[in-house]
Amino acid sequence: MSDWEPKITTFLCHWCSYGAADLAGVSRLQYPHNFRVIRVPCSGRVSPKFILAAFRHGADGVWVSG
Amino acid sequence: MIEYTAIIRDTAKKLLKDGKVDVFIGYKKGTVPMMNEPVVISDPEKVDTLHWDSLCGLNLCNYLTKRKDKIGIIANGCNSRNIVTHILENQISREQLYIVGIPCTGVIDHRAVLRAVGNKEVLDVQEQGDKFTVSGNGFSETFDKAKFLRTNCAVCTHRNPVIYDEMVASPVKEQEGVDPFEDVKKIEAMDPEKKWGFFTKMIERCLRCYACRNSCPLCYCPTCFVDESKPQWVGKSIDPTDTMTFHIMRAYHCAGRCTDCGACERVCPVGIPMRQFTKKLNKDALEYFSWEAGLNPDARPPLDVYKPDDYNDFVK
Amino acid sequence: MLKGLLEHIGIEPGRLNFSWISSAEATKFVDVAQQVAASVKALGPARYLIKKRAEVA
Repeated sequence: MSDWEPKITTFLCHWCSYGAADLAGVSRLQYPHNFRVIRVPCSGRVSPKFILAAFRHGADGVWVSG
Repeated sequence: MIEYTAIIRDTAKKLLKDGKVDVFIGYKKGTVPMMNEPVVISDPEKVDTLHWDSLCGLNLCNYLTKRKDKIGIIANGCNSRNIVTHILENQISREQLYIVGIPCTGVIDHRAVLRAVGNKEVLDVQEQGDKFTVSGNGFSETFDKAKFLRTNCAVCTHRNPVIYDEMVASPVKEQEGVDPFEDVKKIEAMDPEKKWGFFTKMIERCLRCYACRNSCPLCYCPTCFVDESKPQWVGKSIDPTDTMTFHIMRAYHCAGRCTDCGACERVCPVGIPMRQFTKKLNKDALEYFSWEAGLNPDARPPLDVYKPDDYNDFVK
Repeated sequence: MLKGLLEHIGIEPGRLNFSWISSAEATKFVDVAQQVAASVKALGPARYLIKKRAEVA
């Protein structure tokens, strides 16, 4: 199990964290590659249903960032 | 509490005759003993069907949602708190309502009664003060009401109505020294695996009949998330994952709104104690936001407003 | 409050994460990303609430 990598569903706000992720890429900063990013217009758009839906579909973790 | 019945009938008759209200919402005796049901009355001659005793366990606020006429309604502690929640959420306006307040001493758990008589068929229940007698074919037993309260009534600290236009009797003494969250704390102390096991076992019997949703005064969405099909948030089968998703979401929709009236547990055909979900949320609402639902018609609910000092520790 | 409820039911605390990151904070993003990945990795694969049967409408 040592080479197991989690799948993390990530909800990123278009204006904040998505920008930060973009900037991190542009600046060539290294970060883990476990994230499956879903861009949302605002992190307020994320409903609890989305989080449960992510877990139901087998996500190992969920990260909501605004 | 049975002595309130006559006063309720008189009040309802007067209100309907004077045209102060168009309809009066109360309880009537059910066709089966211990199963009192809600009733809506518009004819002043029919007020004699109204009834009140310690077996009126459903929440009447379900029948208020979006009504346009003037309504008389009877309200004990939890009913009145749900009326406040309804007013806050613009489902009804205060001007439409004439609230007849009832100081409540708790509702009897019909399942506990059935267990106590060995699941024999109960044909009649008579209440005398703080005792009640159940009788059926070849048996008759008298019990102390205090020992047969529903679990939410046993830890209730809001027995008197919060808002009312008139009271049928003087307020009763509120219970002191009860800890409503004793069982929640017990679960909180478990490790994740045990918790999951506990809740999975708890909802194992769920039939997905949605009686808990339908009886809940908070559930009035025109289309419930369980009925949505595009996208489909939760499957319609009794797959354990679907059932768990349903229960999590149902409970979460009550966050900061639940008054612990116990209607969901009462109507459950398989007796699932689903208040364990909502109680955790009630506890969190109290701890994080110092909020108990439905106590103040002038304060906005915590999940409805932003405050700079809102609970924030979970954000990285 | 959802986090609180899920934890109450038995979803491990580290699985659901929230954060606030401004679009200028690339370094914070990398930081938090590492924390989140580490916390989920430490918990191992998700065991609960995964729908195993196929969805049928």
